[in-house]
Amino acid sequence: MAKLWAIIKREYIERVRTRWFIFATIFGPIFFGAMIIIPAVMAKKSRSTMEFSNTRIIDATKTGIGQRVAEAMNRGRAPGAASPQVVLVDPSELSQAESTATKEVMAKQISGYLITDESTLKGEELRYAGRNATSMGDMERVRATVKEAVLSQRLENAGIDSSKVKNMTLIPLKLNPVRITDKGRGGSGTVSIIFAGAIAFLLYMTIVLYGQNVLRGVLEEKTTRVAEVVVSSVSPETLLAGKVLGVGAVGLTQQILWVITTVGMFKLRQPILHKFGVSTMPFDLPEISIGLALLLLLFFVLGFTFYSSLYAAVGSSVNTEQEAQQAVQPMLILLVATAIFINPILINPTSTLATVMSLLPFSAPIIMPLRLALGSVPWYELVISLVGVFLACLGAVWLAARIYRVGLLMYGKRPTLREMARWVSYSR
Amino acid sequence: MTAFAIEIDNVVKRYAEHTAVKDLSLRVPQGAVYGLLGPNGAGKTTTIRMILNIIAPDSGSIRILGHPADDGSITDRIGYLPEERGLYRKMQVRRVLRFLAELKGLTKKEADSRIDSWLERFDLKTADKDWGLSKIDELSRGMQQKVQFIGTLLHNPDLVILDEPFSGLDPINAQALKDTIIDLKRNGKTVIFSTHIMDNAERICDSVCIIARGEKVLDGSISDIKDSHGTRNVALGLGGAPTTAVSTVLADRSLVRRVDDSNRYFEVEMAEGADPQNLLQRIVSTGATVNRFEIVRPSLHQIFLEKVGARGVEMGMSGHG
Repeated sequence: MAKLWAIIKREYIERVRTRWFIFATIFGPIFFGAMIIIPAVMAKKSRSTMEFSNTRIIDATKTGIGQRVAEAMNRGRAPGAASPQVVLVDPSELSQAESTATKEVMAKQISGYLITDESTLKGEELRYAGRNATSMGDMERVRATVKEAVLSQRLENAGIDSSKVKNMTLIPLKLNPVRITDKGRGGSGTVSIIFAGAIAFLLYMTIVLYGQNVLRGVLEEKTTRVAEVVVSSVSPETLLAGKVLGVGAVGLTQQILWVITTVGMFKLRQPILHKFGVSTMPFDLPEISIGLALLLLLFFVLGFTFYSSLYAAVGSSVNTEQEAQQAVQPMLILLVATAIFINPILINPTSTLATVMSLLPFSAPIIMPLRLALGSVPWYELVISLVGVFLACLGAVWLAARIYRVGLLMYGKRPTLREMARWVSYSR
Repeated sequence: MTAFAIEIDNVVKRYAEHTAVKDLSLRVPQGAVYGLLGPNGAGKTTTIRMILNIIAPDSGSIRILGHPADDGSITDRIGYLPEERGLYRKMQVRRVLRFLAELKGLTKKEADSRIDSWLERFDLKTADKDWGLSKIDELSRGMQQKVQFIGTLLHNPDLVILDEPFSGLDPINAQALKDTIIDLKRNGKTVIFSTHIMDNAERICDSVCIIARGEKVLDGSISDIKDSHGTRNVALGLGGAPTTAVSTVLADRSLVRRVDDSNRYFEVEMAEGADPQNLLQRIVSTGATVNRFEIVRPSLHQIFLEKVGARGVEMGMSGHG
């Protein structure tokens, strides 16, 4: 045990001392922080482009609806900002006005134009043309604003006092989604998705990066022949275990440091964004229960052991870095295939795809934590997933140990799959 | 305490395409310097790996220091220097040595005090430079070999196994290695080393075992081996390159059975019943200057060539270590 400890210690300390580890550990959270803050700042900027001041309203109704829309657009905007221009036209001149406006949009004099006509008053159709026509958010705001104007017009036509109408139609409703799980209410829905995505991505990244690390470590020991000295003192299985555990501990350390600093940055998010002039809704970080934390840890340990022992087997069977990159392809495909499905599953966590991916042993260590973070998972699915990953893990370790102890001392040409199958059957 | 550091009985190791070791039995006495000799691919490295329990024999038994080879308790008493040498390149010398010592059951404290004295002994730590603080890849190749040698001996092993220790050493390091081997012997340690350079073995070893194609060709103490190979050898040294007349004399099969021609030095094996005096007379009568004429026991090199033969060397070459 003391020798296993010596190996774990060496793997851990030599890696933690490297510049790349220190660099990645410090800059990781800054990178994540930038990913949180920059989009918010960008969103604010892009929102200001749709402040309607540069929008033309072409009103062909002769009812003053255009003016009403402009007023509605002006609401909630910084005082002093220019109002959208309203152009009143006769329906017969509409196409003429439209083509003029199109030219002006092309010349970047205005950003877009809105056409209100008879069908708009009937609540049937509204036309908008402009550079930002593909922005779902902007278009929804245009629609909501015009709808509000049409509504107030109708209310006034029904004989309600115009000042009352103003009060009645001013409904700055904001949706605040709250997720409910088996255990009750749990934070905001969006935050849960970000959180679950972050966990899946973090697991994926750690497995890929540190799995490669195991491979490179094994290959280094093999090519420098240090392995031969080490296995004359401890069994190859001990060396393999020490390597996987040591490198895994480095990965875990980095994850924990990242999580701590990222959570810290989340807490500082508001003051930082405030400096950029962005006011945001305060939101609570999702609460992670001890049970969930332990499950996440368990999945990481199993997933990392599964992949890194396979990486170690690959590392021991090849002689050069180039050969290793080729031999590692099949495993990378499994990992990348899993990563590709993170997004679809985030959007639809109750789909069959999500269920299947969270049960298959190769993807479960990444997808099941994602589902767990998003909400409740039936207990039997969790059990099937865990048992599957655990068995796959045992199998991978067994296979890797057998390939490793033979491969480590075999130099020369890269073995074929058949030769490797024979290694597995060697007694020792 | 048993009298043998290593007892190997009827050991067989097969690989898919060939048999690396065939029915090998040998005894290494405690406290001896023992040479494992053979051409490349004779099965030396395989044998050493089995002694170290890195690989297991298919059949037969191996006992080390009185214990079965797979008894985990003895690995701490063995020091091993593999044929191909290398260390963690990015690691500090001192940390590498400490790691190797910890693998042999030493505590960090014990290791650190020994590391210093060894570094000083091998001139890796002097008044103005402590290489122990450098990374491995900042050291010259010779220095790296010294570091590895220290790593082999740091835990004061009772049995030291060196696979081709002299290969790739410059004369100065080779001398330091030889001195250390002798030192180890004086301290009662058993040293086994494999080599295919017979001169090294002849000078340092008490006993040897010659193996070829995975089989033992002969073993025993150097003096026994030489005695059993007769005293019909003559060491002949000439003042200049041999003339045709000298060559004719040496080619006379009634007089000379075989000759190892090194231009001005010849190791001559006399034919059955031939008289060395007769050879001397005939060479002198050619007019050649004789600097040396001595009746000697055959060199290990000669015995090796006779026993293994050029064919054996070539056969062995095609195999694996």
